[in-house]
Amino acid sequence: MSIFEYNGSAVVAMVGKNCFALASDRRLGVQLQTLATDFQKIYKIHDKLYVGLSGLATDAQTLYQRLVFRHKLYQLREERGIKPETFASLVSALLYEKRFGPYFCQPVIAGLGEDDKPFICTMDSIGAKELAKDFVVAGTASESLYGACESMYKPDMEPEELFETVSQALLASVDRDCLSGWGGHVFIVTPSQVIERTLKARMD
Amino acid sequence: MKLDTSGLETFAPFHGANGDLCGELSSVPSFSLPKADNFDDFQKKAVQMVKPAKGTTTLAFIFKEGVIVAADSRASMGGYISSQSVKKIIEINPYMLGTMAGGAADCQFWHRNLGIKCRLHELANKRRISVTGASKLLANILYSYRGMGLSVGTMIAGWDETGPGLYYVDSEGGRLKGTRFSVGSGSPYAYGVLDNGYRYDMSVEEAAELARRSIYHATFRDGASGGVASVYYVGPNGWKKLSGDDHLSKKDVSKKEKTRPVRCIGYKLLNHVLRTEFLVDG
Amino acid sequence: MRSCSIPCRSREQIASVSETSRTSNLVSLRRTNLAFGMDPSAIDAKGGFSFDLCRRNAMLMEKGVQPPSFRKTGTTIVGLIFKDGVILGADTRATEGPIVCDKNCEKIHYMAPNIYCCGAGTAADTEAVTEMVSSQLQLHRYATGRESLVVTALTMLKSHLFSYQGHVSAALVLGGVDVTGPHLHTIYPHGSTDTLPFATMGSGSLAAMAVFEAKYREGLTREEGINLVTEAVCSGIFNDLGSGSNVDVCVITKGHKEYLRNHRMPNPRTYVSSKGFSFAKGQTEILSSKVTLLKERVVAIEGDEMEE
Repeated sequence: MSIFEYNGSAVVAMVGKNCFALASDRRLGVQLQTLATDFQKIYKIHDKLYVGLSGLATDAQTLYQRLVFRHKLYQLREERGIKPETFASLVSALLYEKRFGPYFCQPVIAGLGEDDKPFICTMDSIGAKELAKDFVVAGTASESLYGACESMYKPDMEPEELFETVSQALLASVDRDCLSGWGGHVFIVTPSQVIERTLKARMD
Repeated sequence: MKLDTSGLETFAPFHGANGDLCGELSSVPSFSLPKADNFDDFQKKAVQMVKPAKGTTTLAFIFKEGVIVAADSRASMGGYISSQSVKKIIEINPYMLGTMAGGAADCQFWHRNLGIKCRLHELANKRRISVTGASKLLANILYSYRGMGLSVGTMIAGWDETGPGLYYVDSEGGRLKGTRFSVGSGSPYAYGVLDNGYRYDMSVEEAAELARRSIYHATFRDGASGGVASVYYVGPNGWKKLSGDDHLSKKDVSKKEKTRPVRCIGYKLLNHVLRTEFLVDG
Repeated sequence: MRSCSIPCRSREQIASVSETSRTSNLVSLRRTNLAFGMDPSAIDAKGGFSFDLCRRNAMLMEKGVQPPSFRKTGTTIVGLIFKDGVILGADTRATEGPIVCDKNCEKIHYMAPNIYCCGAGTAADTEAVTEMVSSQLQLHRYATGRESLVVTALTMLKSHLFSYQGHVSAALVLGGVDVTGPHLHTIYPHGSTDTLPFATMGSGSLAAMAVFEAKYREGLTREEGINLVTEAVCSGIFNDLGSGSNVDVCVITKGHKEYLRNHRMPNPRTYVSSKGFSFAKGQTEILSSKVTLLKERVVAIEGDEMEE
């Protein structure tokens, strides 16, 4: 058993036209035992920047707390929210610091940058950044998600279509994974609004 | 080197020509043993190698009217769900059922083998084999392969001259008689519901509902169990399938849903269904 | 107030300890920060690795948990010296176990305006080590006012890698042109280096080297050089499973460099449906929905513009 499969997770981010979607499943389990079905895996950093943390839940929460702490320091010093690109470098640095004793956590970062240009990025547990123009995935259902997104993704989708696409990709993928599912959580972020939805899904 | 299990036969094997089809069928299949220096070590490794995920929930219980057998329908390989429509209840003959937990191939093969033996017993003795006898046949075979990597956790349920019968048999060689069993990774959850709701004098409908609900709650908590619950009832006239994926047509589902909105396990397990169900239970 | 079992040091002491640890060793043990009663790794300008999860993780490994796999660049990276300078080349595949996780990543890293470096091995290590050295080179340029030397970068890289005894798994091809002319080096994860007229690294290095051995000669023109590098990388792309996708090339000459991102794309996606999937709106079943309107950022301009 890999330590990444201890709690189970599925996270996906997708880029649309001047917007992005970040979605995750809602299960928290201990191996095959489901403990909670309303577990939050996507965290808000500021209005236009979100991070999804897959992997070991205890490390994800610790990492999130450190990220909030560092973002607050940044805000105090700079008097503005952090840019997604900068934030990705921050996360990468935090993870690489623990190169030889890593957090067992794979983050997905999604945000609107300058001129509301969408930015998505994922990393491995020691902070190797992967910048993508289309979609990024992480978690125990990542292999299914790669397949689903690879076939469902289209460039320049409008927010509503992006929501459908990312939701269907997520639901299709978690239905092939024992360790994730039990509902979905989707954020669609556009320059003017944030749409947060919970999805109805199979509960087995 | 071969492991000979013919001593375990309950009747003399056919003596056909060498390589005869009859001989092939009737003799106990035997595996050639590995030529390993350290057999114990080899066994340990072999068990590790073929150790299958026991991702299953199966249950069976005896009540006033007979036996109820139920199972989920998910097959998994590690974290990957390889199928959501597996038949985990094996029909051995019209009066006897076996359940499948552990290695799918091991269960299917040895249940088929058991089916053959039961039929031959029937032809030789002019009456159906008892559940006791059938389960003992299987347990003896499994015991002879003990420690060699077979993985079987099964319940043999049926109706014979003595009435309803239920036995638990596993690849460690265990064989238990009982009135209530659940096997697989989801069994703790199933037991919880089953023990709580069990009464001996239930009607067939009530019993089927209890079985379905037990499987349902197990599929909710257990990551390796899922899909639909198939439920069989075994009575004096043999078994009957009460629900399962191929049993419920779309029409049945909607009808069922109308009358009993909280108990529609037959097709999909959804958020709102779960909530109402918890309320009903609570 | 609860007293701390570790005796608190004075600020001067802390400063001096930190100072010596920085100069003597890249890894500062940072025992000193405990005196402040806060997470020692939370904000530390000194940098260096933190080992505080190592014991927990080792315990988990002992209990039978598999160690995690990291993103790797099972790679073909090459470089050669031609008539006027150096050409570097790389494929663009990043893998995580058997999965291709990035089909078009960048493996030719910037070190200095006149120096670039191809990286193979664990992606995080190649990325971090080149970034770290390039920032040190920048500071060095500020201090000296001179163009960086390739050997400076080489020494910094090898001393870092050597000090970690191969645990920082980066295999590099370093190339650049400085006042002493064009240079090409390879650096192995343990810190050993080579200086060669043509070099290959990564899992596709054998395939690429076969091409170089057959066709390399002294005094190649720019055009010939680019073609040879491309051919060598393509040989890695097609013959090595860890390498794939496109070819990146970087040409460095005296006072000039040209980064040819995706110079050749021999593996375009051929199966894209013109329509793609289309989902009707409102088909996905939703349990709850919340819409938050974002406020327009108001920029107040009052009176004269503020001076910076």
